[in-house]
Amino acid sequence: MTTEHHKVLSANLDNENLHQLDTYISLGGFEAFKKALKMEPAQIIEEVKKSGLRGRGGACFPTGVKWSFMPTNSDKESYLINNADESEPGTYKDRLLMERNPMLVIEGMLIASLAMKAVHSFIYVRGEYAFPYERTKDAIKECYERGYLGKNIQGSNFSHEMTIHRGAGAYICGEETALMESLEGKKGQPRLKPPFPAGYGLYGKHTTINNCETLATVPWIIQNGGEAYSKIGVESCPGTHLMCISGHVNKPGIYEIDMGYPILDFIENEAGGIRNGNKLKAVVPGGSSTVVLTAEDCKGVNIDAESLKAAGSAMGSSAMIVMDDTTDMTEAVLNLSHFYSHESCGQCTPCREGGHWIEKIFARIAKCEGQETDLELIEKVCGQIGGHTICAFGDTMILPYLSIIEKFKDEFVAKIKKSNSSKSLLDRRALNFELGAH
Amino acid sequence: MTEEKKDTVTLTIDGQEVTVPKGTNLIEAAKQIKTEIPHYCYHPHLSVPGNCRMCQVEVVGAPKLMIGCHTQAQDGMEVRTQETSKEVKDAQAATLEFILINHPLDCTVCDQAGHCKLQDYHYEYNAKPSRFIEEKVKKVKAESLGPNVILDGERCIMCTRCIRFCDEVTETGELGMLNRGDKSVISINPGKELNNPLASTVVDLCPVGALTHKNWRFNTRIWYTKETNAICPGCSTGCNTKIAVRDDQVVQVKARLNSKVNKEWMCDEGRYGMERFLPKSRITSSFENKSEINFDDAIKKLSSAFGKSSAIFISPNLLTEEFYLLKQILSASECKAQVVVAYKERELSKEEAVLISPDYAANYKGAQFVGLLGSDIAAQYESAIKDLAAGKFTNLIFIGDNSIDDRDKTVSVFSAINNAESSVAICLDSESGFMDSCNLLIPGKSVLEKSGLLVNKDNFLQYTQSVLDGPKGAKTEWEIFQSLAKSLNIPTTSAQSDRELTNWFFSEQEKLSGSTIKKIKSEGVSL
Repeated sequence: MTTEHHKVLSANLDNENLHQLDTYISLGGFEAFKKALKMEPAQIIEEVKKSGLRGRGGACFPTGVKWSFMPTNSDKESYLINNADESEPGTYKDRLLMERNPMLVIEGMLIASLAMKAVHSFIYVRGEYAFPYERTKDAIKECYERGYLGKNIQGSNFSHEMTIHRGAGAYICGEETALMESLEGKKGQPRLKPPFPAGYGLYGKHTTINNCETLATVPWIIQNGGEAYSKIGVESCPGTHLMCISGHVNKPGIYEIDMGYPILDFIENEAGGIRNGNKLKAVVPGGSSTVVLTAEDCKGVNIDAESLKAAGSAMGSSAMIVMDDTTDMTEAVLNLSHFYSHESCGQCTPCREGGHWIEKIFARIAKCEGQETDLELIEKVCGQIGGHTICAFGDTMILPYLSIIEKFKDEFVAKIKKSNSSKSLLDRRALNFELGAH
Repeated sequence: MTEEKKDTVTLTIDGQEVTVPKGTNLIEAAKQIKTEIPHYCYHPHLSVPGNCRMCQVEVVGAPKLMIGCHTQAQDGMEVRTQETSKEVKDAQAATLEFILINHPLDCTVCDQAGHCKLQDYHYEYNAKPSRFIEEKVKKVKAESLGPNVILDGERCIMCTRCIRFCDEVTETGELGMLNRGDKSVISINPGKELNNPLASTVVDLCPVGALTHKNWRFNTRIWYTKETNAICPGCSTGCNTKIAVRDDQVVQVKARLNSKVNKEWMCDEGRYGMERFLPKSRITSSFENKSEINFDDAIKKLSSAFGKSSAIFISPNLLTEEFYLLKQILSASECKAQVVVAYKERELSKEEAVLISPDYAANYKGAQFVGLLGSDIAAQYESAIKDLAAGKFTNLIFIGDNSIDDRDKTVSVFSAINNAESSVAICLDSESGFMDSCNLLIPGKSVLEKSGLLVNKDNFLQYTQSVLDGPKGAKTEWEIFQSLAKSLNIPTTSAQSDRELTNWFFSEQEKLSGSTIKKIKSEGVSL
């Protein structure tokens, strides 16, 4: 039994020519923008606040509130950045939008720019996204040619420039301040906060950074009203969202679902259930940087910010990774830890050094070379990382590690017990340990 | 009163109340109560990257530990450092453990050992055996970054001080960071070389042994040296330095932090150019027409030469006290000689001008301060040198090797000295040209061989300490002036040491009454 979900973002995605301006307009495109042109900036922000829209990048911050942080009377210019550096493992929703409906993204950005009086907006596209980049770049070009971007858009007194930039493939450039550094031509490393981007952002100007999907949702809200949007899904976290599902399911992919949809229903109905009739073992609900849920944990949990929070995890970037009972969790966590240690920007000490240390320990455990003290050590090292880094990378990296160890401890302990046979190796380590291998 | 209050904030650090100017960060604020919040990446004169995480402190009410370098002191803030907070102590130990896991245990051959912040902090804040039993990351070793600096990538703790120095101070941008995570390594940007005029400052800024001087590495353990706080005599900027000496050889020169003068920067020319002030071949006894005479006879000859001298050329590197002694002698005697200090300007590039002054005259301002010279010293010197070369002076006195600028040590100048009726030189170097040209030679001492006062170009009075004793037989210029005054029956100082001389000088100068060496030694005084 499938539930009918609203189609806010995926309405016309089956139209092959949707990326072309004429097709987009013929399907009602840019109507919301024209409506917004007649509205006061404060009115637009109010409408978005009313909708209850929360950022889709991972932090679930209310979008309207974020927009209202932008100063209304400043001599400095304001910028908008579309964060399309979608790099969270398991996430590929923005890619779909940019490939299939780039005009919607542009329209959302134009409305957001109207609301925040931004004179220039930037799309920062993930380095690996060659085709979405080309598609969106062409769309921007077409918009310029047809007067939807540039000076006096559609005869109004609103002028706006838009630039698309493709990153070089670093995960950390999805962190908003690292993104700005990268956009400025520097090495992508997070900045210290304060100052916050609204006060001192890209090139020192007032800047707001929104996720691509968040911005693509805005036209619908303006067209249909914030109230209409707030009635979809659940009250605390309204609307629909593009849910990516990957891993051991029969139909991995992207599905637009209403907020508040049960996890298990989603896996069963939309994603076609677990492959080969296997049993569900674990779910990472919101991109790899969230607390893992066991099959038992998932019971009664819905996909929305509050329900997932209550279950001890998070909505994250709406990317579900499903693991069946054939999964070796020691290998799964090793895979994750390799990703994080590889993607640590190397700027601050705990993440740079600690991330790799943990990966090395996980690698030993997976190879049956673990020691009895290893699990405790990982927990301690995680504690030394979390809360001690410049950006949230360190804080979130440890969430899957700690939760996987906690919830699947038996598997780790079993592998560590197996290690006791390789004695010579341990002897060598014992010696090192005694001497202190600085 | 209320207006004054607006510019300061009052907070408590470890229970002690501290009042600091608005905008002060917690590391600086804690210095007021003599608490050192340990740090690697923070430098008071560079931007704040907050990457080492060593300076974490507890701010009551904050959800997590804050970094002292990036947190501004605020009214009513309650801060706990490692002295009072276990959480802070643990965080610092954790940071050190992280920094050390991939750091090679090569202190036994590392030049930084003994003055290494990693060693110091490890013993102070961690001092536990490591729990790390994995293989360490391999990085570049002994990579040349430029003519003078060499990098050991494995020792580097990625504090980025060197990168920021080249970006922000010299604005030459030679350095950058390559790769990510634990593969991160400092590297030269494509097509560049670390060869800016202040390049070797990065070695001083490096808190560990990652950056070392090519020509000084592996030459000594620092604890076998005697380190002295001296002022660089290379130009009139007056950079604060720490000069390490072993077996009468300068084995390392470091810049010393002085926010009012050189921050913590130093130019390569000064750093590697100390030999200029310490000639290898020294004059160790007095000579008259190339035959050795004793010091007392030499002073007698000097006093008679003094009376009839027509020009006195003085090195700009004498101590302020010495200029003053000379001034006293000149005013009390009948000497009508033209007195000049070798002051000749030079062109500087944009990068040199960041720190270097356009002269080779460490203490010309000192000569002006005591009233020995007027303001137009460059023109006076230029015309005096012209007159000298033209043979206009019959009786000459030269005080110091640098009494003539190196650029003016020409054949025509020395032949003019040769042809003069009489010529006296108080100098150091037996190969300087004075040896062959002058009738009377008295062995002097280098500015690095005496302690006393120097005035920099911004009229900032500083105290330099003697780095070396100088060879036996050589006399400091003030000892020579003292003897000269006695022989001319002019009342003078009875000082028996550099120290006594400086204290006597303070008592003579109304403007400096109440000054102490200790006070001036610590930072210096604006005149």
